[in-house]
Amino acid sequence: MKKKLARRFTPGQVLLCLLMVLIVLTMVVPLLNILARSLSEPSRSLGMSGMEIIPRGFSTLNYQVVFSNNLIVPALFNSIFITVVGTVINVLLTTTAAYVLTRPRLMFKKYIMGFLIVMMLFDPGLVPEYLVIQKFGLMNNHWSVILVSAVNVYYLVICMRYFEAVPNTLYEAASMEGAGHPRIFAQIYLPLAKSGVATLSMFYAVVRWNEYFRPGIYLTSSSKTTLQVILRQFVVSGDTAAIIGAQNLLNYNEFAKIDYNALKSATIVIAIVPILLVYPLVLRFYAKDIMAGSVKE
Amino acid sequence: MPRPSAGSPAQTVQMKPRRKSAWQRLRADWVLYAMLFPTLLYFVLFRVLPILNMRLAFYTFKAKGPWVYVGAKYFKQIFSSPQFGKILGNTLIISLMKYVLLFPVFVVFAILLNEIRSLRFRKGVQVISYLPHFLSWPVIAGIWISMLAVDGAVNQIIGWFGVSPVRFMTNKGTIRWVLFFSEMWRSLGWDSIIYFTAILAIDASLYEAAAIDGASRLDIIRYIVLPALVAPMTTMFILNLGYFLSAGFDQVFNFTNDSVNSVIDILDTYIYRIGLERGQYSLATAMSLFKGVVGCILVFLTHITSKKLTGTGVW
Repeated sequence: MKKKLARRFTPGQVLLCLLMVLIVLTMVVPLLNILARSLSEPSRSLGMSGMEIIPRGFSTLNYQVVFSNNLIVPALFNSIFITVVGTVINVLLTTTAAYVLTRPRLMFKKYIMGFLIVMMLFDPGLVPEYLVIQKFGLMNNHWSVILVSAVNVYYLVICMRYFEAVPNTLYEAASMEGAGHPRIFAQIYLPLAKSGVATLSMFYAVVRWNEYFRPGIYLTSSSKTTLQVILRQFVVSGDTAAIIGAQNLLNYNEFAKIDYNALKSATIVIAIVPILLVYPLVLRFYAKDIMAGSVKE
Repeated sequence: MPRPSAGSPAQTVQMKPRRKSAWQRLRADWVLYAMLFPTLLYFVLFRVLPILNMRLAFYTFKAKGPWVYVGAKYFKQIFSSPQFGKILGNTLIISLMKYVLLFPVFVVFAILLNEIRSLRFRKGVQVISYLPHFLSWPVIAGIWISMLAVDGAVNQIIGWFGVSPVRFMTNKGTIRWVLFFSEMWRSLGWDSIIYFTAILAIDASLYEAAAIDGASRLDIIRYIVLPALVAPMTTMFILNLGYFLSAGFDQVFNFTNDSVNSVIDILDTYIYRIGLERGQYSLATAMSLFKGVVGCILVFLTHITSKKLTGTGVW
């Protein structure tokens, strides 16, 4: 025991752990700082330093302002809609395709896989895709964003690895019993690859929630836009009128007076919270699975 | 010989199993292909059609009526403009920083993680270091803009050492390093996973043998750990080469501003600007086509080289 402790507290270990603590602090402190800013009393948060992680006073005014904003609230619902419907479509298409592509003796499998790999490698670029969306009449429609990234080839390949791990004898026994493909897929493969499919769903959901670029291009009216787009306008482009509203800037003394940085912080926190909610689940399922999928051998 | 009718089991049993024709197999398995159909339809509609649209690089765009063929006009325009060289240069510099300079940091981080003896502490570090990877780019940009502000945390810290505040985000000399360090911050944990799992896969008997030989920790890293990392490092390096002309659009797009745009303007941000902001569809498409073709050539070249050198390719 003594020996073990002595080994743990060598100067090298102490230095190493200090370094790691520093690295972790660079990630944790900025996040806590933003949280603290958003929860502080607006009149006192103005002079807060970047390293303070305890709110100055306590107030939910920033959140009240954000949640009463007639731009952000619809955007939040739009984000939720796109994330939920988009993820369902992602998972549905990815799992069914992965099931088909892992069937033994599937015809044209080589060609289909080759086609998918080319689709993954070759990016047609912004304008060619934009013109297609326009042609389909999907501009300013949530389905543009949902459909344009309906399947991710990389995740599809990972899903195929999950399904390959399901014993083939089960498949053969079930088809011998006369079960059709949809049934084998839904009652054998999905349940047996449950944790894999769950991981996949969460990765898709995170990507959906975080998406800002295509919604920014394809959802042209402010009633259709998403939270990340607003966040970008407000935080990155510093467009305060976007969030407060030009009128409110003039009329609303109470709002215009409050600290914009605190308001930005509250918006960032709202965008992060859903990620933090699924994060433990992501960690529980993912690490080795995803890596097993991406690394050959 | 008369064809056996479907409803005569005795005959089918006697029949020699013969290869079914493609059409017969297709018909027997139609449900299977129906399950694949939505995915294939998606790729045709949203990937193949855009690729076909890339012919716009050789045409002048007309909103109504057919496009007008102009040959290589837009390519000539791109390659003769002085801006192109600058943008390509920016792209290559940023890619070099991200994919060559930064990449050993992830390897070192994985090795250091492995050196931590307290398992619980190590898990804690890992869990927190993965988190930034899951944040959206607008969020990351927001966090960094506030960290790097004149009264932000970074300026406060360098202030302790007597350095006067720097406007990192709007300074042409610092912005590329902002990209470098924010990329490091975002990917440190996540991108080191591949190396860390390679270290975990090292056979324990190697360590035991080394301990018997009285090897130091540094010896073990040098002769056991590093050799195990060569394979994943090669893979990652090749994969990164495929992104070389992209240089991480999302990051640049969210970190850029008017004061520094000239030094971090990359191919993709340029395509966005001329394509969607100025509506020069053909020019932007020509640029995308150039980028796509060169990107594919890069991937194929590295694939072939890697196959020759190490026996394993990208796929």
